Amino acid sequence: MNPGADAPLTADVDARTPLQDARAAFLADRWAVTGLLTVLVCFIMALGAWLGLWATGWSELGDQRWAGPSADHWLGTNLLGQDIFQRAVASTRTAFEVGVLVAVASTVLGAVLGGLAGYSAGSWIDSIILWLKGTLDAIPFYLFVAAVAFALKGNPWAMHIAMTATFWTTTGRLVRGEVLRLKNREFVEAARALGLPHRIVLFRHILPNTVPVLLVQATITFVAAIKSEVILSFLGLGIQDGVSWGLMIAESSQEVLAGHYMNFIAASGFLFVLVMGFNLFADGLQDALDPKRAVKR
Amino acid sequence: MNTLRLVLRKLAGGIPLVLGVTLISFVLMVYYGPDLTYTLLSKNPTAEEIASVRAQLGYDRPFWWRYIDYLRELVTLDFGHSFSSGERVTSLLARTLPVSLALLAPGFVLGNLLGIAFGLLAAWHRGGWIDKLIMGFSVVGMSISFLVVIVAFQALFGVVLGWFPVRGWNVHDLPSYLYYVTVPTLASVFVALGYNTRFFRAVLVEELGRDHVRTARAFGAGPLSVMMKNVLMNAMIPIVTRVLFSIPLVVVSGSLLIESYFGIPGIGKATFEAITSGDQPVLKAVVGLTALLFVVILIAADVLYTWLDPRVSLDRAEAA
Repeated sequence: MNPGADAPLTADVDARTPLQDARAAFLADRWAVTGLLTVLVCFIMALGAWLGLWATGWSELGDQRWAGPSADHWLGTNLLGQDIFQRAVASTRTAFEVGVLVAVASTVLGAVLGGLAGYSAGSWIDSIILWLKGTLDAIPFYLFVAAVAFALKGNPWAMHIAMTATFWTTTGRLVRGEVLRLKNREFVEAARALGLPHRIVLFRHILPNTVPVLLVQATITFVAAIKSEVILSFLGLGIQDGVSWGLMIAESSQEVLAGHYMNFIAASGFLFVLVMGFNLFADGLQDALDPKRAVKR
Repeated sequence: MNTLRLVLRKLAGGIPLVLGVTLISFVLMVYYGPDLTYTLLSKNPTAEEIASVRAQLGYDRPFWWRYIDYLRELVTLDFGHSFSSGERVTSLLARTLPVSLALLAPGFVLGNLLGIAFGLLAAWHRGGWIDKLIMGFSVVGMSISFLVVIVAFQALFGVVLGWFPVRGWNVHDLPSYLYYVTVPTLASVFVALGYNTRFFRAVLVEELGRDHVRTARAFGAGPLSVMMKNVLMNAMIPIVTRVLFSIPLVVVSGSLLIESYFGIPGIGKATFEAITSGDQPVLKAVVGLTALLFVVILIAADVLYTWLDPRVSLDRAEAA
């Protein structure tokens, strides 16, 4: 006799899936929701710039340099008479391009390599992946990115490749740990007992369970990528043509010493808002997806 | 004796790491770095001149020979002469490294000490307004780019207030040292503090939840004594790990940005110039020595663990 059989049905209260639980926890977190909304607003700005709906005139030269804010130029103009507000908005698109590409690529790479390492823990595959990870971690980040960016100079993807090559290691380490924890659970044993090939067991049965870790890591990587882009573009190793906040800050670093602040304020302000929004979002996501959350409260 | 065995074993374990780091970076510099042949030649060179310059730069030899040479240079710590300036690499390091250390040390120490102090404060008041205030500032600090902080501080202290120099490093005594080091230090503390505080708070909060802390409280120990003796001392392992492993990153990555921006002749600026000019001897030295430093830190961490926590036996440290 099943002891639960005659218990009253309270399914709509207790039988929430972990995902629904996490969503409720996330929505109850005011700061996390504020962060998400901020990111969405920035994303719409980026999308519009990408589709050519607005900020299309970011590269147009004007005859008035270092103009103050006005109805024509909301945040004034820079040395070349270009509209600072339009440049800042157009840079949102650059930031999302870099952030999304690097976050997706390093999360996929980290998941695959971390998964392989964890699944084959103790074997030579695991040793090689761990060695690669240790090696990449031991090369100082800016040195490595600068070297790769320089090695692939002229290639617009140099910066993305360099960041992905360094950022996957943290995701890989976390996924490896998760897979080690999961691979002796019953559902994995069941899948193996069915005679499924290792490839299917790992990629269809184990890795989907690491999605919470992957989501959180992807948001953290996104922030890291945007912040690094700014520094690399400033050093001349990042965005080659186009506009980005890093390039704007590079332009402004001399203007600031001469007392022209708008370019600097616009670029760092936009950068701050997007990164702050993403940090709040990432924190909320991490708390909401934390399996220990229920125990903690 | 045990410690010596551990150190030797760890040194051997560090060899694959050093090989990996040097190999990856050497492939990058040899196959993708700038070719200096024509930079060093006069106009309309003859074939013999080209060949002799290529031989002088080592370009004509097979990759693996050059790599083995690199390893020999790393073992003997003799990296030859810089391609760009002709200066001995060892004397270049002896000239730039002390500048970088003097530049970065105050910011590194202050950033970690303040991080621990704020972490202790926030952890003790966890959930309260002090905690929320500190964590709020941490998130804001984490969201501000290092570059923005540098430009803003330079404009504020160098131009608007005019208290400190905008560029350069003309240090000969303590007042001049303080004069040049203050703004870079403030910038690096500002940038590191958010991340550090968050990390230290998380570690300390975890330790606070343990039974031994509750017991100490029940015996009437005051907040300061509990936080210092029971919480901080027991959380030393993750704290020491983080501090130690951030050293190589700070020395190379941190110095690169600050020194390029403030025009300070340290190791970071020299490295960046070596990357852009294809100065292989300097790059080989910096990358190789950073890898060695990493191995030294791995060993130092293990030795410190046994010292901080007697339960960590050397055998277990070896197994890990």
